[in-house]
Amino acid sequence: MPEREENPVEIAPPETWVDRYGDYLYGFAMSRLRNPDTAADCVQDTFLAGIKALNRFDGSRDIKFWLRGIMRNKIVDQIRKSVRESVVDMDSEDETLLESFWFRYSGIATTNPDPWQFNPRKNFDNIEFWQVFDTCIDEVKEPAREAFVLRILEEKTTEEVCKVLDVTPNYLWVLLHRAREQLKISLEKKWTGKNAS
Amino acid sequence: MLTCKQVSNALSESDYEKLSPWKKFFLKLHVKLCIFCGKYNRQVMESQDMCRCYKQHEDSLQTVRPKLGESKKEELRRLLAKEAEGKH
Repeated sequence: MPEREENPVEIAPPETWVDRYGDYLYGFAMSRLRNPDTAADCVQDTFLAGIKALNRFDGSRDIKFWLRGIMRNKIVDQIRKSVRESVVDMDSEDETLLESFWFRYSGIATTNPDPWQFNPRKNFDNIEFWQVFDTCIDEVKEPAREAFVLRILEEKTTEEVCKVLDVTPNYLWVLLHRAREQLKISLEKKWTGKNAS
Repeated sequence: MLTCKQVSNALSESDYEKLSPWKKFFLKLHVKLCIFCGKYNRQVMESQDMCRCYKQHEDSLQTVRPKLGESKKEELRRLLAKEAEGKH
């Protein structure tokens, strides 16, 4: 970790970026993309774009976060690219869900979801819990994971996500529902298994 | 008052913490009382709470996240040195 200077506009020279921010940015990209090659490409693109735009850096925040801001856009680009290569298809189970009475009547999947096996709120201050959460996001299947990353973690609007993934808003709803469901299942498996008494 | 469908739509459009105070109030009230969508939407809200909290903790997870390989680092170092030189 580089020492923070008194002067907020201090800019680390680009030659030192790899050692200062390389791992941080790569870890961040991996958490969103889960593919070592595309994540490394993303870091490279970010550094190059960063050098080009360096004169627009205003020094209002740490350059680390400025680079991360650039990378967030690169991540969306990468997801867009990977979606173009494999078209997102809706399977019949998802179609049935959208046609179901409960969805049409109230916009929910079921009136009686399984309750949590433990209270996740109790672990909100526990850093280990978030490490497990991090690995659980990995286990969510595509394209639900991509939808989750864009919509929830990157906080893109529904329209933007639909455009990137090329799906309808209704299907995005199904994807997010699946992501939540799978996250809950793998969290319960990993966390309760670990802390079972 | 909000209908079940309006509640679900609001929850899928945004994090409930970001709704206007009135809307948030009615939404919470509805989800507390509703026997149809309450159970489900309470879990959606819980999941939103969890994701919000996850994002706050994200930076401290960096130490356990994967790191760049040495060969890629070396490649990037060379590339950046070249680019930085071209810039001067």
